[in-house]
Amino acid sequence: MNPSVQQPVETGQERERAKRRRERLAIGIVLILVAGLTFFEANLAALGGSVAFTNNIIIFALININVVLIVLLIFLVTRNIFKLLLDRKRNILGAKIRSRLVLIFIGFSLAPTILLFVAAANITTTSIKSWIGGRVGVALTGALDLARGKLEGEARLLSGLVEDAALRISPESSVQETGKALADVRQGHSPETSLLLAGPAGVVTITGEVPSGIADEILSRLKGMKFAEQAESSTTLVGDTYASAVKKIPDGRLVVAVKTLPPGEARMIREIANAYDEYHQVRLLDDPIRASYIAVLILITVLIVFAASWMGIYLARQITVPVQLLAEGTEKVAGGDLDVRLDYSSSDEFGHLVSSFNRMTADLKEMKRDLEETNLSLSTTYEELRRRTQFIETILTNISTGVIVIDRHSRIAMINKVAERMLGIKTEKVLGKPYKEVIREEHFEAIRTLSREVGEAAGKPVERQVDLTAGGKKISLRVSVTALHEDPGGYMGLVVAFDDLSQAMRLQKVLAWREVARRIAHEIRNPLTPIQLSTERMLKKYAAAHEGDPAFAECTQTILSEVGTLKHLVEEFTRFARMPAPVFKEGDLTEELRTLVETYRAAHPGIAWELEGEDGGAWFDPFQIRRAVTNLLENAAAALDGKGTVKVKCVREKELGLVRISVADDGPGIPVTDRDRLFEPYFSRKKGGTGLGLAIVSAIASDHGGTVRVRDNDPRGAVFEIEFPVLQRGRG
Amino acid sequence: MCGEAFLRRIAVPLILLIVLLAANVSAASPKPEIVGIHGQIRGREARVFFTLHDAFTPEMVEALKSGIEISFKTVVRVERVYKRWFNVPMGELTFSRSVRYDALSRVYRLHRGAGEELLPDVHSALAGMTQYEMVVPLALDVEPGKTYRAYARSRLDRVGLSEPLKSIFFFSSLWDVETEWARGYLTAP
Repeated sequence: MNPSVQQPVETGQERERAKRRRERLAIGIVLILVAGLTFFEANLAALGGSVAFTNNIIIFALININVVLIVLLIFLVTRNIFKLLLDRKRNILGAKIRSRLVLIFIGFSLAPTILLFVAAANITTTSIKSWIGGRVGVALTGALDLARGKLEGEARLLSGLVEDAALRISPESSVQETGKALADVRQGHSPETSLLLAGPAGVVTITGEVPSGIADEILSRLKGMKFAEQAESSTTLVGDTYASAVKKIPDGRLVVAVKTLPPGEARMIREIANAYDEYHQVRLLDDPIRASYIAVLILITVLIVFAASWMGIYLARQITVPVQLLAEGTEKVAGGDLDVRLDYSSSDEFGHLVSSFNRMTADLKEMKRDLEETNLSLSTTYEELRRRTQFIETILTNISTGVIVIDRHSRIAMINKVAERMLGIKTEKVLGKPYKEVIREEHFEAIRTLSREVGEAAGKPVERQVDLTAGGKKISLRVSVTALHEDPGGYMGLVVAFDDLSQAMRLQKVLAWREVARRIAHEIRNPLTPIQLSTERMLKKYAAAHEGDPAFAECTQTILSEVGTLKHLVEEFTRFARMPAPVFKEGDLTEELRTLVETYRAAHPGIAWELEGEDGGAWFDPFQIRRAVTNLLENAAAALDGKGTVKVKCVREKELGLVRISVADDGPGIPVTDRDRLFEPYFSRKKGGTGLGLAIVSAIASDHGGTVRVRDNDPRGAVFEIEFPVLQRGRG
Repeated sequence: MCGEAFLRRIAVPLILLIVLLAANVSAASPKPEIVGIHGQIRGREARVFFTLHDAFTPEMVEALKSGIEISFKTVVRVERVYKRWFNVPMGELTFSRSVRYDALSRVYRLHRGAGEELLPDVHSALAGMTQYEMVVPLALDVEPGKTYRAYARSRLDRVGLSEPLKSIFFFSSLWDVETEWARGYLTAP
């Protein structure tokens, strides 16, 4: 288990390996320490000779292991508790629950351990006291006295032997005689009974079998007791395996009778003597023994408490480490880091949880990558779509055809600028609305007819010419309606494309009228001259004859006058019919207008003539433009009847590439009903007008590739506008 | 109170107090010592006499009477003394003496070198443990008229407890008896 949040997997594995190395090193050091200490202590004991090496080596090893482990445990627990306190102080995630768990473990272990300690200490003390203070001591002393009494009884029996032997041994006796005397005395006694004669140099003679150790001990005891120098009567000596009696004979030598005990009795007596010794030692060392036991109990208590603490820390870590890792990992994931991998492996539920978390982050990362790829693809597609849409919109904006797209729900989905201008509507007001709400009632029939025909055309476009009134004027449109269908055949909506035929029709009319004018002029001009000449001849020849006849003079003058009028009319017709092709030059349109305005300002001083113009550089025919503007100024002056304001403006529409000349007056204005025919030849609202002025203006505008239109002036009057391209095709 | 303040105000005075008390307690009990070192030096050996004083506390005597074996280890060194030069070691002897009371035989078994001596009472046993007459073999010849000195030091070597008590007092020592080095001049012929 390696509890850490890792970015690269390698780091966690290296850390794990390093930890394993440290653990192996620690185990090795502990083992060496235990072995070394055990060897050292065993050697110490062996040198001292009080403890058997082979019997105690396991105890030494266990004690050393315990000591090392206790030290290690205390170190680890202390270190971990300090670390825990620090973590808690630093508000590290998981420190609180960890410290709580450790406290719970310590609390649960401390109470029973202390209780056990107190009970064990009491039991130990009571046991020791009852053992050393009770009947055990009396019994052991009694047992020892009994053993000693038995030995002394045996020794007293032996006193008779030594007395008898002392009587039989004289200083002059040889060794053989002495041996014989001793043998005689010993005769009839048990085989364990021996007699010996000892001098200052050691044993002189011996009968029976006396272990050498016993003989040496007896002699040594006699030496220590100074017995050899003073004892006259026999005396007794007992050991744990023998009983003896000693008698000094006159020459200073000692007669010793020894009886060795049977092995069973000797062992029993030795056991009694050992028990007696132990009892007295325990009694003497009562307090240190108790202290020692209590120390051991304290050690065990501390060990249990520390072990419980360690277990608490360990279990708390088992719980909090994965929780902490998960919290940190979740935080990182929330911050957008999906490369997080928790390096924690365990077979328990936490291991499963961490593994699920890792799988989840991996899935999230995968999904994010897919999403990014999809997003990129969508962005590309969207960009392409947007480009195409822009392209289509550009096309739709720049084509001269008006286009309206109606979706499957009969709502207006798109409308281009040309359509907007042609129909005089604002896109933002109609976009998204059902087209039935937008169109006027008088057009319902036409639209219904078209819809029906589109439905019957089965996907083929339906074309019709439709006359509408838009923006206060009648327009003729060639409408093409196509139903849109998706590939599987679903209905998507309608595309309505329409061209303004008004201008074309107007041009056709102008051309027709020109032809008419040319023929009329031709047919009329020919008879006019003979009529005029004949009338002048009549006047010259018959004037005298009809002098005083006012009718003659009046009629001839009328004929001449009307012929003159007709000639003028013919002249106008001719001029209209034979309008030359414009000769384009680059010039300053504003300057041309200024000249004209100055002329009219001088001619009509009662009218306020205003000119407003930008840089008027454009390609145009100066002669024809002057003529067209002159006609408009003439009409304005006529409309104002010598009083009012005329504003002439020259505006350049850079975006559209057009130049616009407008002449606005504050006269009575043009009724809407007259506006359709205003630019047709021979339509005049002036008395005596030829009706060709505005027709000529319209023809000039058409020849310049432009248009002329009229609208109401605000607050009153009319505005005539001539528009034509700044740069003529094939020029500039 | 932070850790440093605790150390300065409480821990340090407490430690000083403990050290002083320990010193007083140790000063109160009589210290074992070796007295009366003297002897003769001749040929390749030195005969050294000295007495071990206050080596047996009353508790130790009681322990001895209770059958606990007590053993002392003693070191005797002999040096030739130079006035303006370093002393030259001549010889050294390390030996042990032990005594144990045999309750059954009512004798004190004293071991000092070869063999066992059985002594009838505690006084003779203590005398046997504290009266020393040692022969130290020398590595160099003795020069007559020169100055020689003997050094001796003794310490409690082992307390022979019964087997069950050995395991109880495995890590602890019941008594700590050790003399300083004592010295005395040896007479040379």
